[in-house]
Amino acid sequence: MPERMISCAVAICEALTEEMARDEAIFIIGEDLVAHGGIFGQFKGLPERFPGRVIDSPISESCIVGAGLGAALTGMRPLVDMHFADFVTCAMDEIVNQTAKIRYMFGGQVKVPLVIWAPDGAGLSAAAHHSQSLESWFIHAPGLKVVVPSEPADVKGLLKAAIRDDDPVIFFQHKKLFAREGPVPEGEHIVPLGKAAVKRPGGSVTILTYGSGFYMSMEAANELAGMGIEAEVIDLRTLKPLDFETIADSIKKTNRAVVVHEACLSGGFGAEVSARINSELFDYLDAPVLRVAAKDVPIPFSPRLENFVLPKVEDVIKAVRQVTYR
Amino acid sequence: MATTVIMPKLGLTMKEGTIEKWLKQEGDRVEKGEPLVEIITEKLNFQYESPASGILRKILHHEGKVVPVTTPIAIIAEEGEALPEFEAIKSEVPIEAPMPAAAVRKEMKEHRERIFASPVARKIAQEKGIDLSLLKGSGPGGRIIQTDVISAVERVQTEGARPSVPAQKPADKLIPLKGIRKIIARRMTESFRDTPHFYLSVEVDMSAVQDLKERVKDEVEKRAKVRLTLTDILVKVVASALKEHPIINSRIEGDQIRLLEEINVGVAIALDDGLIVPVVHRADQKSLTEIASVIRNLTRRARRGKLTLEDVGGGTFTLSNMGMLGIDKINPIINPPECSILGVGRTVEKPVVQGGEIKIKPMAWFSLSSDHRIVDGAAAGLFLNHIHKIIENPDLLLV
Amino acid sequence: MKSSVSTREMRRLYRTMVTIRKFETLAGELFAAGKIPGFIHLSIGQEASSVGVCSVLRPDDYIATTHRGHGHVIAKGGDLKKMIAELIGRKTGYCKGKGGSMHIADFSLGILGANGVVGGGFPIIIGAGLSIKLRHTDQVAVCFFGDGASNRGTFHEAMNMASIWKLPILFVCENNCYASTTPTSYACSVTNIAARAAGYNIPGVTVDGNDILAVREAAGQAVDRARRGEGPTLLENKTYRRRGHFEGDPQKYRTRAEVAEWEKNDPLLRFASVLKKKKLLTGEMEKEIQKQVDGELKDAVAFAEQSEWPNPEEALEDMFINP
Repeated sequence: MPERMISCAVAICEALTEEMARDEAIFIIGEDLVAHGGIFGQFKGLPERFPGRVIDSPISESCIVGAGLGAALTGMRPLVDMHFADFVTCAMDEIVNQTAKIRYMFGGQVKVPLVIWAPDGAGLSAAAHHSQSLESWFIHAPGLKVVVPSEPADVKGLLKAAIRDDDPVIFFQHKKLFAREGPVPEGEHIVPLGKAAVKRPGGSVTILTYGSGFYMSMEAANELAGMGIEAEVIDLRTLKPLDFETIADSIKKTNRAVVVHEACLSGGFGAEVSARINSELFDYLDAPVLRVAAKDVPIPFSPRLENFVLPKVEDVIKAVRQVTYR
Repeated sequence: MATTVIMPKLGLTMKEGTIEKWLKQEGDRVEKGEPLVEIITEKLNFQYESPASGILRKILHHEGKVVPVTTPIAIIAEEGEALPEFEAIKSEVPIEAPMPAAAVRKEMKEHRERIFASPVARKIAQEKGIDLSLLKGSGPGGRIIQTDVISAVERVQTEGARPSVPAQKPADKLIPLKGIRKIIARRMTESFRDTPHFYLSVEVDMSAVQDLKERVKDEVEKRAKVRLTLTDILVKVVASALKEHPIINSRIEGDQIRLLEEINVGVAIALDDGLIVPVVHRADQKSLTEIASVIRNLTRRARRGKLTLEDVGGGTFTLSNMGMLGIDKINPIINPPECSILGVGRTVEKPVVQGGEIKIKPMAWFSLSSDHRIVDGAAAGLFLNHIHKIIENPDLLLV
Repeated sequence: MKSSVSTREMRRLYRTMVTIRKFETLAGELFAAGKIPGFIHLSIGQEASSVGVCSVLRPDDYIATTHRGHGHVIAKGGDLKKMIAELIGRKTGYCKGKGGSMHIADFSLGILGANGVVGGGFPIIIGAGLSIKLRHTDQVAVCFFGDGASNRGTFHEAMNMASIWKLPILFVCENNCYASTTPTSYACSVTNIAARAAGYNIPGVTVDGNDILAVREAAGQAVDRARRGEGPTLLENKTYRRRGHFEGDPQKYRTRAEVAEWEKNDPLLRFASVLKKKKLLTGEMEKEIQKQVDGELKDAVAFAEQSEWPNPEEALEDMFINP
């Protein structure tokens, strides 16, 4: 399939245009979507193309998510835009107590085909309330699927898959990646949920990452190659359900792993993956699993401070050298 | 109905067996009664026959694995039949069970010196038989890591037992140390290392025994249907002497010596792939005819690989007659856990001085190796002397 | 202007109220006998509100209910057998034993579930209302809630959203004087919850919640408005919670005298009296209805008690459609 270079923002638009044309039950609700097609231009053209199906809402996160949930329970397939991932906190009950639990609590009577879409991430001096990476909270709420793509092709493919999935999906996408371009196949392109991708094969070390961590890891891998260390970079893409088989195949080959994510260290997704690797792949490990993550502080404003707090390429290289004893 | 093949208990005391060789592979058809697998126990090599007919669907333990008796080792079933679940090979998701504190403390006490090695290093070391305590770790804190073990494995493979030999020598032949050879290697090493051997020898005049043999061999042959050999007579002599010297018919058990009630004399037999010691049970109560018959039967079965655990078990003393191989003298290694072993060399006509005159006599060297923990030179010497006396005056057997 | 109610409907209204009353009483007894795990919240005394509102709804209309939701579910047509089975945790219950009293749902009857979070229903009902609008049907969505829930942020967000989008929603506040142990007179900034509607440009109506015909009338008007696309209404049914917040509640926050006073204002007695005056109900008919309902409940209990417990492994089921 031929590919073209497009940005994540364009990829999102394409995904939604295609899906909304295909299924009338799909609509989008969130704050500030109509005037500019979303604050990041992520829904550009959609309000005009699908009148009445891109709905601006008041600043009422609980009811925005609730609107999505109630509609999902009554035959629709909504996508809820959280504006900034940081504001999930204003709708935690609706996401974690309601959306995640309704199908199970009611004995499987109903499906919840809801997508909660949230731009996240730091590095733009947006400070503590507009820079968080909160995906690990939702790993801890059974009943939700959690997706964090990095490249435009995955953004498009996974968004389509999430919309078509009959279960609730929370979909995080780094703000900085809107502008990032990448090859995206022409025509229909769906990436299944729950499948990781080995984006750079290698035999020396397994790097497990997602979101913005992917780009950091690839850069680090290039530098490490110069030192004779061939890193295998696995873009997890879906955090829950996790593709542990791909992870296991890799670690059985390399005998060591480093998890890289922008979210802060304590209780981050790296802790979960690390624990699983420990319990299921212990005998294959030549070194403990290391995690590269942000420091455990709220994201500070001033660029120098923010830069200090966030994980960097050299942190990845350092961790890899530690586990490869080089 | 699927049949689970288990490690059979081939003898009273057998606790575990080594899977030496699978005679059928996964997917092969096997008939009930067909030899399925070669099993080695402490003392012998056994061909275990299939308990059922069907397809060998799954081998649960591979060659070289030591497995306790009654452990499932294979499954025989028809094509497409459902197989029972086994955790023999690998469990998919290990359950994290915290070790009780007392067990952890006990383990830590037992490891006086903990070896730090990564999990994969340990795994490779175990698979390749590398002793981690001999390695120096290059990881942080002296951690032994994968490359350390791999290097050690490579060193062992290239250097082998002759470090001075250059790597490329196409003429060398490699014989893997496995099966009966491996067992002998281990037992003899243990015996040689753990038992303080001392050696007593005496040269014995064999003429009286040779006369005896001439006189009774026809009768023995008539009754036992086998020819009488020197070994048969030696077994009788040894058994008789052991009766008078119970301290030799003994074994060490921890911090006590057990004087054994039965006198079971083992006879060392050389087979193609190694030494085997079938036992003449209650040799002191057997006639020469019986001893000859028993020994011949054991030898025949030994050569066919058909000895049972009972045949090789329960020995209290071992006799090693090297005379047939033309050896003058042997200081044998004790067959553990016995107290002593007697090695007899070839009978040679020699000039000896008897009663002030030089006579030509058939002489043979009798060498007794003994465990100094159980006996001192005096006790062993008395025993060997007794044997000497009987050999030179076999009528004493009647007394 | 009161619309007329047929005789048949009158009797059905009465019978439904009796069913709820008896169901709740039975639940209390089962709970006291240790047969219901967890806790239950009974709606005895509030029957007119449930039945009055649900009587003007269609089967394809939606309701969201609360932890005190047995009455709403019965009024909307819920199956007594499945309800009791769910209360005692059997696998034949509405939610296969996974929900319990506070999480009963029947999506085939438009019951979008009872919620264990006070005020949890508002956002969901907004979604249902929005969905009706987007699908261009004339369904209606009803959110039952208590006086306490009207203090939650979700109430205010929902009122605002329903108003700006003219969603076909009926907000039914069952003001039963207490939010758990806290009197409404203390916790609410207004005496009539309906007064809050003005702040959202929505009609707010306060009704004697123990007068079933009054409730039905007011609800009927609100539902008609909604179906015509004229937007939401806030209906406040003034009633009283005759039992504790939960069974076993020591109720130190109110006096027995107060409870006794409200017993005189019993919605069933009042309606029975109205029916008898109109000669629509006789003593025998009353007894007959009681007997029938008793029979139905007895069958329901027998069904539930004979039902299997769920297998422990079933706890891992019903998570995802595509695991």
